[in-house]
Formats: sequence, C-alpha cells, structure tokens
Amino acid sequence: MNNDSRRYVIIIFFLLVGAIYTIRLFYMQVIDESWTLRAQQIAEKRKQITPPRGVFFDRQGRKIVANKTYFNLMMIEANIKNFDTIAFAKLIGWTPERVKSRFWEIKLGEGRYKNPVTGKTTSNYQKIRPYPFVKEIEMEDMLNMAPFLKNFPGFYEEITSMRSYPYANGANILGYLSEVNGDEIKTDHFYSPGDNIGRAGLERFYEEELRGIKGIHYIVTSALNNAIEPYADGKYDTMARQGPPLKLGVDITLQAYGEKLMKNKRGCIVAIEPSTGEILSMVSAPSFDPNLFVGKKSIAKNYPKLLQDPKMPLYPRPLSAEYPPGSTFKLIQGLVALQEGVITPGTGFPCKKSMVGCHNHPNAGSLAEAVQYSCNPYFYHIVRRVIQQGKRKKQTEDAEIGLRKWVKYMHSFGFGEKLETDIIGIRSGLIPDVKYYDKWYGHHNWAFSTIRSNSIGQGEVKATPLQLANLACILANRGWYYTPHFVKSIGKKGPLAIYRKKRYTMVNRRHYESVVEGMRRVVNEKGGTGAGARIKDVVVCGKTGTVQNPHGEDHSVFIAFAPMYKPKIAIAVFIENAGFGGTWAAPVSNLMMEKYLLKKITDKEKEEKMLKANLD
Amino acid sequence: MKREESLFGNIDWTLFIVFAVMVLIGIANVYSAAYNPKAPFLFDFSQKYGKQIMWVGISSFLGLLVFLIDASIYRKFAIPIYLFCLILLVIVLFMPPVNGARAWLGIGSLGIQPAEFAKIGTAIALASYISSINVRQQTVNTVIVANIILLIPVVLILLQPDAGTFVVFTSFLFVMYREGITYDPIILHLVNLIPGVRFKKTWVGSHFIPIFFVVIFLSIITLLMSNNTITFSFLPGIVIPGFIGVIGSLSVICILSFFILRFFVAKRDRKRIVMIVIIGFCLSSLISSIVNFGFQGLRKHQKDRIELFLGLREDPDGEDYNRNRAMAAVGSGGFFGKGYGNASVASVESNHVPESETDFIFCPLAEEWGFVGSLIFTLLFMFMLFRIIQIAERQKATFNRVYAYCVAMILFYHYAVNIGMNIGFAPVIGIPLPFFSYGGSSMMSFSVMIFILLKLDSQRGDFLG
Repeated sequence: MNNDSRRYVIIIFFLLVGAIYTIRLFYMQVIDESWTLRAQQIAEKRKQITPPRGVFFDRQGRKIVANKTYFNLMMIEANIKNFDTIAFAKLIGWTPERVKSRFWEIKLGEGRYKNPVTGKTTSNYQKIRPYPFVKEIEMEDMLNMAPFLKNFPGFYEEITSMRSYPYANGANILGYLSEVNGDEIKTDHFYSPGDNIGRAGLERFYEEELRGIKGIHYIVTSALNNAIEPYADGKYDTMARQGPPLKLGVDITLQAYGEKLMKNKRGCIVAIEPSTGEILSMVSAPSFDPNLFVGKKSIAKNYPKLLQDPKMPLYPRPLSAEYPPGSTFKLIQGLVALQEGVITPGTGFPCKKSMVGCHNHPNAGSLAEAVQYSCNPYFYHIVRRVIQQGKRKKQTEDAEIGLRKWVKYMHSFGFGEKLETDIIGIRSGLIPDVKYYDKWYGHHNWAFSTIRSNSIGQGEVKATPLQLANLACILANRGWYYTPHFVKSIGKKGPLAIYRKKRYTMVNRRHYESVVEGMRRVVNEKGGTGAGARIKDVVVCGKTGTVQNPHGEDHSVFIAFAPMYKPKIAIAVFIENAGFGGTWAAPVSNLMMEKYLLKKITDKEKEEKMLKANLD
Repeated sequence: MKREESLFGNIDWTLFIVFAVMVLIGIANVYSAAYNPKAPFLFDFSQKYGKQIMWVGISSFLGLLVFLIDASIYRKFAIPIYLFCLILLVIVLFMPPVNGARAWLGIGSLGIQPAEFAKIGTAIALASYISSINVRQQTVNTVIVANIILLIPVVLILLQPDAGTFVVFTSFLFVMYREGITYDPIILHLVNLIPGVRFKKTWVGSHFIPIFFVVIFLSIITLLMSNNTITFSFLPGIVIPGFIGVIGSLSVICILSFFILRFFVAKRDRKRIVMIVIIGFCLSSLISSIVNFGFQGLRKHQKDRIELFLGLREDPDGEDYNRNRAMAAVGSGGFFGKGYGNASVASVESNHVPESETDFIFCPLAEEWGFVGSLIFTLLFMFMLFRIIQIAERQKATFNRVYAYCVAMILFYHYAVNIGMNIGFAPVIGIPLPFFSYGGSSMMSFSVMIFILLKLDSQRGDFLG
C-alpha cells in the first residue's frame, strides 16, 4: 500500500466514526425514550399541588372532619445569605441553639450514601433542595412571621392543610393521617415525601377518594431548583381537585352521647339503622379525642402514650374484639330450628337442669317464652335436633352432616365471616366447622354432646360486637340485612355498590315473628331479662347476654331494636367485666335508643347511674 | 501580477462557504444557549453571543491579514513560528491558574489559550520538516525528529495540565502515517535484531497508528456500552445487551457500506473492497468481543478502576453529573427537536449542563434541533473534512498537503471527542467544538487555521516543492 492510498484509511476512519455516531444519535434521540424521561426529571420539574382532603359530614349534615390551613417554613440552604441566627430564633420563637441544632437534625435525618467504588460517604442532604425547617405553623403565627421572612433569604413559607375535628368524638371511626413512609411512596406513585396518608378507620379505607387529584404544574427549573418559567406556557398543567366529601350515616350527637355513657367502662356500642345498614354510632371504650392525632408533633407525643395504655384505647373493639356471643346467640338457634322444621313456634321443653344449669324460671311452653326466659336447656334441645337429624346411624357421622348445615346457616347471618364494612380492622369471629372439630377431636370422633356449648353462645363460637349489631338488624328486618357501613354517599354518588345489595339469611321471613315476639317479651313482659331497656310508648325488642369470662367478671351484653314494627335503630352493647347483661348493657342501650328515637332522656335517674358507674 | 488578481479569485469557495455556514449556525446556537432575556440584543457585547460575534469579527480580520500575507511565509518562518508558540506555552505556565489549569494568557475574558495556537505552530513545523526530507528513505532518525516536534508542545501542554489538547495532538500521528512516517523503522530495527530474521518492512509497523486508534476507539465504545442495555420503546420487553448493540451497529455499517460502495468503487476493485470490509467487520467484532469478555473476566478492583476512569459508574448526580446532564439534553431532542430557543436542559439559564456554551455546545444544538439537526451537523462536518482532504490531495507541495492533513485531523479529533462526550462515547475531557463553541481562542485559532489552508491552496500553483 503506497502512501497516497493511505488517504483511504483516513477517510474510512472518518466514515466509521461518523456512522457510529449517527447510529448512536439516532438511538438516543429517536428510539430510546429514557433520556427524554431523564431530561424531564432534571429540568421539567413537576410542581405538585396537593389539594385538601375530602371532608366528612354526619347524617344530619354537620361537618365532623374539616381541614385547617397550616404552614411549613421551608429552607434552601444554598439560598441562605448573611444568616442572623439570633434574629431568626427570635422570629420563630426558638432558642438560637435550637435553630443551630435544627440544621444538623435535617442533615442527619436525610441519611448518608456510601459510594461502592470510591468508598466515599456523602450525605443525601443537598443544599439546593428545600426542606421543612419548622413544620405545622398556625395561620396567626405565620401572619406575624411572614413580613419579616424577607430578611432571611433561603426561607419561605409553604401552605399545607391538616385535619381538624369540630367534635372530639369518633376517633375510632374516623382514623387519622400521618406522613407516608418510603415503601408507600414506592408502591403508589401518587405520594411524594411529606405527603399525608390515611392511617386507620375511614381515612384509610377511603384514602383513594379522599386524597383527591393532585394538580401538576410543569415548570422549567434551573440546576439550583429555581423555577424559570411554566413549561410550554402551562399547556400541560392540571388543576388540583379536592376529594369528594363523605356523608356518613353516623349521628355525631349519638356518638358523643355513647362515648359519654361508656366513660370509665370498657366495651363498645354499635348502633345501626336496620332499613339501610348505615352505622349510626360505633363507640369503642375507652375512647380518645381525634384531635390528639393531628400533626406530626402531636402524633409523636400522643401515639406511644395511647399505645401503651393498658386499657388499649387504640384497639378497635367493635370490629376486632371477638367475644363469645352468649345468650344473644340463642335467637339464631331458634330461627334455624324453625327453618329446619325440627320445632314449631309452639314447641315446649321442660327446663330440666340435667344437661346444663339454668336460672329459676317457669317452663318454656313456646319458643317465644324460651327466648323470654333465656332458657338454656331449651336451646340445647333444639340445637341437638338441628345437628342430629338422624340421617346416619352413627351419631358422629350424623353430627358431621348436621354441623355442615348449621355452619352454612351461621354464615348467612354474617357470623364466622368478615363483614365487608368500610373500615380497617374487621375480624371474622369464629364459627367452628367440621374441619375445626376434626382437628381437635379427630375425624368422626365428636358429636352434638361434644359441641353443645355453642348452642347458648359459649364454647368455641365467637362474634364481634359489629356482628351482633348486624344480628339485631336482621331480626329487625325479619330476615335480611345490608352490610353495615359508615358512608352513605361519596360526593354525589351513593354508597359503594356492595352496600346496596340486600343479603338474605337462610331462614324464611315467616319464622321470625315468634323469635321477635320473644324479644318483645324480654323487655316488656314480667320475667323478661331485659326490663332495663323498656321505653315508654316505644316497643323495644331485645335480648340479654351474659358472657362467661374465664379471666374475671362476666361480660354484659345486650342486643335490641326498636320500635318493633318499622324499626329505626338496632343496637348491640358490650360492657366488659360488668356481669349480668340486664343490669348494665340493657340500660345503656335503652339510653342510646331514647336519645336517638326521642331526642331526650326520660329516666334521668337511670342516666345518672350509668354515667357514674365505674366498671373499669 | 498573478498574486493580486488571485487574492480572492483562487479561494476554494466550497470550503469557505461551509466554514461560514458553520460559524453562522454556531453564533445562532450560542445565542440560544446563552440567551439572556434581560439583554436580548444579538450584538450586546456584554453577553456571550455579543462577544462571540466580536470574536468572529476579530477572526475575520485575522483572516484578511492571512490573505494579505504571502503564503510562502509559513514555510520560510516555520521554525520561528513553532518556537514562538513554544515560548508562549512556557510563559503560560507562570500565569495564575484558572480552574486548576495554567492555560490562560492575558486578563480575564480577554485572555487567549496558547495551546489552541500551538496546534497551528506544530502543524506548520511538522509540515516544514516532512517536506524537507525524503520519506521514501525514512530512518529511525526521521521518525524520532518528527516525534520530538510533537513531544515538546505535548509535554508543555500536559504541564498546564490540559488533557484535551494532549489528546488532540495525537491526531498528528495520522498525518505522519499518511506521509509514510510510521514506527516501522523502529519496529524493523527491533525485529531484525532477532537472528535469522530480515524484514524490509512490517505490515504492523506501517499501519500501527490507524490500527491502534481503531482498537482504542472500539474498545472505549464497547466498554462504555458493556454495562448498558438497549431497549426499544416500540418493542417492549426486548432488552439487548450493550455489547450486542455495538456488534449490531458494526453490522449495519458493514451492510450499508456494501450498498454505498456499489456507487463509488470501480467494478474491478469491488471484490477487493468487499473483502476489506468483511475482514474489517470481522476484526472489529473480534476486538469488541475480546474487550467485552476480557473486561467481564477482570477482577473486581481492576474493573472498578477502568469504570472509574471512563465514568461508567452510575452516579448521575456526582462524578457523572456532566455527562449525564449532557446526554439527557441530547437524548431528549427527539426526531425534530424541541425547537430553537426551547432547550430546557441545555440552556445556560437553567444551568443543568455545565459549560453548555463552550465544551457542551452540542447539547443545545441537539436538544433544539433533534436528530435531524444532529444529522445535518454531522453531514456538514464530514463534508468539510472530505473537502479538506480533497484539497490536501490536490496540492503539489508536500508542505501544503501535510498542513491540510493536519487541519483535517485536528478538526476531526475535536469533532470525535467533543461529540463523543455528549453521547456517552468518550470520557469527559474539555475540548471545544470548532466554530461552535463560545470562546475567543478556539474561534480565532480554528479560523486562522482554515484561512491559512485557504491561502496555501489559493497559491498552490506558486511553488512546486
């Protein structure tokens, strides 16, 4: 190759580089989109406008969860000039030492990053980024501060909103807000650091509705994070939209009254409107003021305190506490027996205390009387007839068939399954099935006699107060229920679809009357166990329960609905360690029903007694 | 007199127009990149675009001077010019450092960078030396002298330190290669030391320079791509390792060149050229594979060291900040670009890409004009390079030819390294993009370089050397 032809080597070298660069440019600019995204990340900062959350109204249209405007004092270190610590400390009402240490706190709080190659450790903190220096400043304080902020370049205010609760009630229903954590930001791109998220109750369940839609303003920013101009003249900007208001079925005055009644007691009250399934009140005692959980500072202060309280105020008792249902469970057993045709409303059994103890009462000549007297042997007999229908010769095989059927009945009443109520923390209770007993006793190793305690609501069976309140609804409606729920409308839409579906039990409507008649007698006839729930001029139907508690005093239980025809309220009351159901739970539910139905209390003496009672 | 009537008449207008177009685009680009809404006037001399226009004006004046002076002066005064440049390079070492390098002579923004002008001085010296010897009988001595002419300014520039200009100086090795001054005599000398071996010339020794640089070029690209994956937005789920992408690109070039060669190569040569292309492709792929798998096989600390040198580590906001921002600017341009004046990453105002009006001037161009603009830019540059080579090959004087090749190679190096930096194909070493980057020294030195070439070419009939 002579020297002259070496020019081609050089030309080919030029062409090779030119071609490779062109291919690379084509790939980077046209095919690969990751650089476009990177550029957006770098320059087209999306400024998110977080709307205030949706508010809550109670059933009377009273605002029970509102938003209050607060300010954060933001700081960008790179923009700070001639910082006068003392003057600044004076302005925000801190000591100069606190101001100095706050800078360190922010820096350390961001953590550090270790470069795997160089081994250099660098702080994640960046001088050009904004950080909240003082959080949650109230409007008045900010107004005093704002005119002087211009003396402190690098500091500016940012508006935020937080919850406020005009009524100090319903903390267990409403839930609270707190800052999102790293995992939540990763899994849901809606959130960015510093955002709030619903942590419990309705705030959490309806998070996606309540948080609304963030507004996004695209701006071209400089490397120092200063906004330069709206991107494309704001063509792609979107407005922030507040989440729709939630209208609750809760009556806040009833809720407040319930919380007042349950002071110094442990337990719960659940009241539901039977015709709609809307929860009127759900008290979990002891209760606490929802305002304790507003803002990072007060959550940090109050949360550990409440968490460590031995009375467990944070425990959502109406949803999570699984108690044996006690005698209230007898109502369903009567219904099942009627549906199965093993008894008629007129069937009577003598109260022989050979199988199980009972209190002294006349023999029950009918199902209604058995309910009235809460006769234990009566319900043993009828449940035995349901479980042991003689379809197999062997007792144990027969019991298996019977139990399978019985479990299905219980599920149709909402027991042993989680109710799909719109709140977090629901538990299913327990309806022991064939599998359960096979595991305990072995296959075909058990029969009715083994599991008989369930027929009076003791033994293995467990239910939550919410399920018992739902049972009261079913009885009030004579055979159907809407899944209990809090929210009756989301903005202009009604409740969620699952709450618009009527659910029927496996027991025919015609069988209910005799049990309901029994419940009427419990309250209104001599010898009934729930006379404490009687209201003048209103026919109350109820059933007491006394739940044996191996750890101490029995739990007092009462479920009821009123009036007997066209019922307006169904209620379940649970008072822990209070003894007989008729003594405590029945009067409390009586007061609640009076408050709701008559808007007044007729028996002041009873109210006084209940308010004063300290059963803690 | 002949010279007077040919003062402008013999100018190669093609090259001049390409040069002028590039300078004008360059001004427009600096105007967009450095646009200051408070001083929107293009000729505002307090702004970078105003200053750039001023530099262009000064360069034009220098160009006029070059045209008034007889071309023979460069050949006659080659050694004084070279020595003058060396003296400036020595003086600059005693200047206060700016950004850690003693590269500036003068005060503030009115300073000049002697290294920029040393390129011209070295080119003239090299041209003068090569034209004075008979390269057909190149000896170890001629190779050493030619290398020393390069080595002195290189050492002085490395003392500043200025890695970018050092890299550009290696471009002269290609010029020497073109002129037949290779490392062959040295290699022959060594090879013939082996008893019984007697070579007249070695292929490796003759073509060492281009082979070496192609290997370096392919290795750097392979290494830079080895950690990357290539994805296509219209083919979701398909992920190609970066190395395969390099081989794929080579195949595309190979196939394209078959089609292109049909038009340019005579029928009788076609077979040979096809063979060369195929062999070239195979060798390139082999080099790429060896580098890729060799790199994968390295121990971790060795790998780390290479990755650190090439800036391969994922550290977009730290060590890799400049390149990451530059690539984001270029890559976000899309097909048609964001439109003139709409760069969101690469504008000086936003300051995301540091030096977006000097070393990273390609960013605003590519971001605003997209692939179309980048392609036109590349074609324009390639056209200029080929025109210069065409001019070089029509010179009868060796001096002129060597000088022209020097100009072509210097411009090519600046293009390759500067654009490579913007597309992630080269480590970030600061060298300007000729005719585009803001800055007096580079504007003046590249203009003078072109004007000297035009002058030499316009007088190519005068002396037959």
